[in-house]
Amino acid sequence: MSEAAATTPLQPAVTVENFSKVFKGTLSRKPVLAVRELSFNVQAGEVYGLIGPNGCGKSTTMKAMLGLLKPTLGKATIFGRDSESVASRQDVGFLPENPYFYKHLTGRETLHFYGKLCGLRGSELKDRMATMLDLVGLKNAADRRVGGYSKGMLQRIGLAQAMIQDPRLLILDEPTAGVDPAGSRRIRDLIIELKERGITIVVTSHLLEQMQEVCDRVGIMSQGRMVREGRLEDLISVENQTEIILENASAETLSKIRELVGQDAAAKLVSLGKPRTTLERLFLESTIQTGEGE
Amino acid sequence: MSAVPLTIHPYSSFSLSRVWTLATNTVTQLLRMRILWFLLVFSLIAVGAGFAFPAMSPEQQLKLLKDVAFGALQIFSIVVAIAATALLLPRDLEDRTLYTILSKPVPRYEYLFGKLLGVLLLIGGGLLVMDVIFSGVVWLKQSFIIADQIAALEHEQQASPENVAAVKAIISKYGLTISLHAGVWAVFLKAAVISALALLISCFASSTLFTIVITFGFTIAGHGQQLARDWFLHKHLTAGWEKGLSAIIAVVCPDLGAFDLVEPAIRGDVISSAALLSVTGLAALYIVGYTTVAYLFFVEKEL
Repeated sequence: MSEAAATTPLQPAVTVENFSKVFKGTLSRKPVLAVRELSFNVQAGEVYGLIGPNGCGKSTTMKAMLGLLKPTLGKATIFGRDSESVASRQDVGFLPENPYFYKHLTGRETLHFYGKLCGLRGSELKDRMATMLDLVGLKNAADRRVGGYSKGMLQRIGLAQAMIQDPRLLILDEPTAGVDPAGSRRIRDLIIELKERGITIVVTSHLLEQMQEVCDRVGIMSQGRMVREGRLEDLISVENQTEIILENASAETLSKIRELVGQDAAAKLVSLGKPRTTLERLFLESTIQTGEGE
Repeated sequence: MSAVPLTIHPYSSFSLSRVWTLATNTVTQLLRMRILWFLLVFSLIAVGAGFAFPAMSPEQQLKLLKDVAFGALQIFSIVVAIAATALLLPRDLEDRTLYTILSKPVPRYEYLFGKLLGVLLLIGGGLLVMDVIFSGVVWLKQSFIIADQIAALEHEQQASPENVAAVKAIISKYGLTISLHAGVWAVFLKAAVISALALLISCFASSTLFTIVITFGFTIAGHGQQLARDWFLHKHLTAGWEKGLSAIIAVVCPDLGAFDLVEPAIRGDVISSAALLSVTGLAALYIVGYTTVAYLFFVEKEL
């Protein structure tokens, strides 16, 4: 991991302070207020999900965090550095939505190119490329041109390039967009693995179930504003309900539970039945294709 | 995943290594787009021209050979300069490749510089290969002509050492001389200026086609810039605003006529090192100027 800008434990990985962005109008187009007075922090080691409908300002916020566009008001910092300073990008890996890479390069050459841009050299770069190709499951397709990759493979090579310099922060814009369930699960598992390694991740996705599985905290944006923000557990738990899942419970046990509930005047049995597996889990159990070197 | 931390060098605001990485990637990109098919076409034209026009006088044969080959060289360099440069930035933007590059520690000026350097390396390399082929064909043609002339003198029993030396001197003047390489260098400089101009236009243009059309227009205008400048500045315009406007046109539109050293090279005239130095300096001035303005546009560009 890059040692630039060593941080104190309390220093957030990302701060967005009072960020507003207005896209200038033209003769035929009115100015657009894409984001208004947005503020949030992402702590180091956290997985932060930024969710919201299309056009709510998620990608604009991410671009501001990467210095790809200038805030009209406010600012963003990455490990204490202004996100507009190029040096702040040493600590960041970015996977854009639907990424395209140079079609003329192979997967291996793509990683070599981005690794060199990050200042990696020689055997270290070679080893790192091999590790990344292995990690994203593209070892067998490493010498194929990126122009011939499927959408899932493009996402995975994109993830590999984002991680090539072992950044402390990963910004992933719709990392599972257009990817089949198996590929999507792989990316989800990878995010969990990276989180366990202490890498901070900011992610957007429309797959809310997956976001729920990986995120520590989420921010919900709508019309350029942050409408809800906080720990995922706090946001989604229903305070006045309790879930009990039993395995191999007999009809007698279930009957006793019903009786007990009936004795409590305030309590009410909301539902009782067999939990269902998810369609995603069913799909993954029924198919064996791994996506490796598709 | 790496267990050992990677050796990432501290960020420096300018890195030749990053620029070189961008430049070589640009060369690979253009090479794999098969842009150098032009080289093959050129070689065929040069070899074809070498064996054409047998009915003309020896001097005319050599002049025509150089004329045709220089024409092909100029077309190659200008087309590559405009098309290749115009393709690079808008395509990176459309494909969002630019996002992944600029989200790495790469300043925008390095990106522009790397792209321009890549195109210049490609044009320079292409012209170098063409120069070698061109020189080879001219040398062969010149050798055949000298041999024919000496054979004719011998047939007429006039092959005295003086006559042979005179024939060699005359033919050699129109053959392979250092001026030919100087002419190729001037062609490269002109293409470099056009590339820098195309890069500047692509920084604010909305599409590749727009960049190509506008740069092509400036290239045509640039060849007549000196005439227009003389007309505007010295003869007909008196008002300050008119002079100011024409001065702006003179600055914005490059004086591409200044790089025309091809004619003296074809005639076999000696091109002085002062003249070469002067056009090299002028080209450097244009390139630095255009690239700086390109950066000022690009740095403000919202991605």
